[in-house]
Amino acid sequence: MAKYLAKRIFYLILTLFIVITVTFFLMKLLPGTPLTNQAKLSKSQIALIYEQYGLNKPVWQQYLLYLAGAVKGDFGTSFQFSDQPVSYLISSRIGPSLQIGLQAMVVGVVIGIIVGAFGAMKQNTWVDSTTTVVSILGISIPSFVLAVLLQYYLGLKAGWFPIAEWGGFIYTVLPTLALGAQPLAESARFVRTEMVDVLSSDYIELAKAKGLSKTGVIFHHALRNSLIPLITIVGPLAVNIMTGSMVVENIFSIPGIGEQFVKSVLTNDYPTIMGLTIVYSFMLCVVLLFTDILYGIVDPRIRITGKAN
Amino acid sequence: MKINSAVKLGTVALFSAVFLAACGSSSSSSEADKQTLNWMESSALPSMDASTATDVVSGETMNNTGEGLLRFGKNSKTLPGVAKSYSKSKDGKTYTFNLRKSKWSNGKPVTAKDFVYAWQRTVNPKTASQYAYMYAQVKNANAIIAKKKPVSSLGIKAEGNYKVVVTLTQATSYFPALVASPMFFPQSQSVVEKYGKKYATTAQDNVYNGPFKLTYWTGTSDNWTMSKNASYWNAKNVKLKKINVKTIKDPQTALSQYQSGKLDATYLSGQQPKNYKHSKQYVERKSASTFYIEMNEKKDTMMKNKKARQALSLAIDRKQFVNKVLQDGSTAADGLVSTGLATKNGKDFNDDAAVPSATTQDLTKAKKLWKEALKETGRSNYSLTLLADDTPAGKNSAEFVQSQWAKLGNIKVTNSNLPFKTRLSRSQNGQFDAVISAWGADFPDPISFLSLFTSGNSYNNGKWSSSAYDKYVKAASGKDANNADARWNDMVNAQKTILNDQGIIPVYQQGKAQLVKSDVKGLIYFPTGANWDFSKAYISK
Repeated sequence: MAKYLAKRIFYLILTLFIVITVTFFLMKLLPGTPLTNQAKLSKSQIALIYEQYGLNKPVWQQYLLYLAGAVKGDFGTSFQFSDQPVSYLISSRIGPSLQIGLQAMVVGVVIGIIVGAFGAMKQNTWVDSTTTVVSILGISIPSFVLAVLLQYYLGLKAGWFPIAEWGGFIYTVLPTLALGAQPLAESARFVRTEMVDVLSSDYIELAKAKGLSKTGVIFHHALRNSLIPLITIVGPLAVNIMTGSMVVENIFSIPGIGEQFVKSVLTNDYPTIMGLTIVYSFMLCVVLLFTDILYGIVDPRIRITGKAN
Repeated sequence: MKINSAVKLGTVALFSAVFLAACGSSSSSSEADKQTLNWMESSALPSMDASTATDVVSGETMNNTGEGLLRFGKNSKTLPGVAKSYSKSKDGKTYTFNLRKSKWSNGKPVTAKDFVYAWQRTVNPKTASQYAYMYAQVKNANAIIAKKKPVSSLGIKAEGNYKVVVTLTQATSYFPALVASPMFFPQSQSVVEKYGKKYATTAQDNVYNGPFKLTYWTGTSDNWTMSKNASYWNAKNVKLKKINVKTIKDPQTALSQYQSGKLDATYLSGQQPKNYKHSKQYVERKSASTFYIEMNEKKDTMMKNKKARQALSLAIDRKQFVNKVLQDGSTAADGLVSTGLATKNGKDFNDDAAVPSATTQDLTKAKKLWKEALKETGRSNYSLTLLADDTPAGKNSAEFVQSQWAKLGNIKVTNSNLPFKTRLSRSQNGQFDAVISAWGADFPDPISFLSLFTSGNSYNNGKWSSSAYDKYVKAASGKDANNADARWNDMVNAQKTILNDQGIIPVYQQGKAQLVKSDVKGLIYFPTGANWDFSKAYISK
């Protein structure tokens, strides 16, 4: 296991290095300057300011300087938020994004599993049809549409939840629901299909024949085995939520990082683009590593160490 | 994953949620005093450093938490600020400001040295200020920015603690308006040096000498709070106790917050202005920013042909565009210079300098001119690409102009909507046939617009050139600079020249539609730079 982890961490660093390199050079191909007042600066004025930021140096030199800084934990200062270190910009704004994302994942997946399991147990009844309709709706309604509907009906009309802004758990309810719909629907659909399969397999018949209680069969045998493939989709779903919360963040005025990522690309804010790319790719790598490890824990048949070789 | 672990994970998430939320909020509005204004912006406050800030939100906040030698009042009129009076030398090149005794929010006096320090800091190449060019009129500023002279040679001197003497390279009639804008505000050397790199990056790493002081702002937060500054010299006339500003990017969310009483004012966009046009709370604010089409005269003979340019201008029904398409408080452009920017004897600049025959639709004439232009340049038809921003307004504009130009016949217009910075690069590098550009004035004087289109100017993307125009602009900032009447006439003539020759095609002047609660009184709006002054505002009830 330790050897496996070491290997994976080495790959993680290698992946990050490649991502940094490719992003850096691609980013430099963007037309325009990172200067927020570019529209009002002449070429000679831009050249003078570039000199101060070291942007007049050849790209490969800037790249090496960036790497040297990044190793020391210095990711430069943002152009959009002038004078703010990128590390501070990200750390001060990533909390709400992660919180909403995490809550949405947990709420969505947990409810999804319950809904899916019910559907499978009551296969071909009205319960099953209802869960199918719920998951189809959850997948087909985009989170931002749901967000606006929730905001209007539960926030403005009913007044149960704050319409927007940030300031306590109550403020996270609506965005969590809006973002949680997709993982809910996906996992419900997935669990239902898997469980229908598992329920008709031989070992379940055996368990039933041995006289185990119905709940015992469902929880100990059926559900556990249906959850294994779910791990596969949870990883990508988590990443999807991390990166896809921008619109929901805007609608609920959440002081998150989602919009900064898009805005940094549009405004050529080089240090912020790099910083956020590194953070996002790191999170993606870690999520994938976790899902791989989880596999081994949930299903001993899957050997992550690859001993067979 | 077992159910157990899922439940555990859920519990952890819940706890961390409550914990994070407890850390996050700080400005609870439960103790809301009557004199609290709840304001919104659609983008966050990115900077509070007067030397390096570039955006409107920063300008607006600094304008309320700081004060320069002079201060903007209603209709962009300059009022006494830290300087209680000033005098101008006969040649208009030397200004002497007499400072009042006033204090920073840390109790230290605001002195002439604070102005000298701030101005020198902004033009210092090391500061890399993107607005240093605003100092161009101050003696030696350009040489200092270009590293050719030491910072100490800047044309500003402190005579004792309460007198500032400024030397200009040439008479500049709008200089008082410049010193009223945030990039000319004083900065306390001891404070800047104390905080070093952290200066002005949060509410605490700064001092304030304006009607309000910033009391909450983490540097990257979406909310910030300004509170009445008891050290301000005119504090007894400041009525608001607190201004809570929230960043709300989504217009629908902002409107909902306004309707539920969480905001005292909100900007409208999209379909909203149309729906609220008849509300008593509806207000339209004119911005000092004009959208116009530049035609690339270096590209081919057609765009160099005056009749072709005129035809393109006369084909556009601007009124229909602003009233039926944009509907956001924008107005049809009367000229290059925005209306409401500058007045003389109560008359707007465009009352004197508009050329209706160059900015009003006349399709019959347009078609005729277009035919003639095609013939003169030996063509049977003409295709061009119209470059514009990829914003909703940019797309609307491009589509509308395309449909209007199509009516000329024998023309094929292709639209190309690009992200702002890409569009800008193409414009600056001459990679376009026609482009929808915009300019916002930095200070309330027509020259802010007119200086753009002199021959060889780097903002003159279409490379239109007229010696008469150059002459007028040069006179306005040179020989007539100290003669208000002659200067006004020069500028009027300059705009008439560019419109008559259709050097550009003005399309619309940007406006902002806003809803303001009827109990909010005394807001002061001006169309340039900082936009808002809350020092006279109050809530009446």
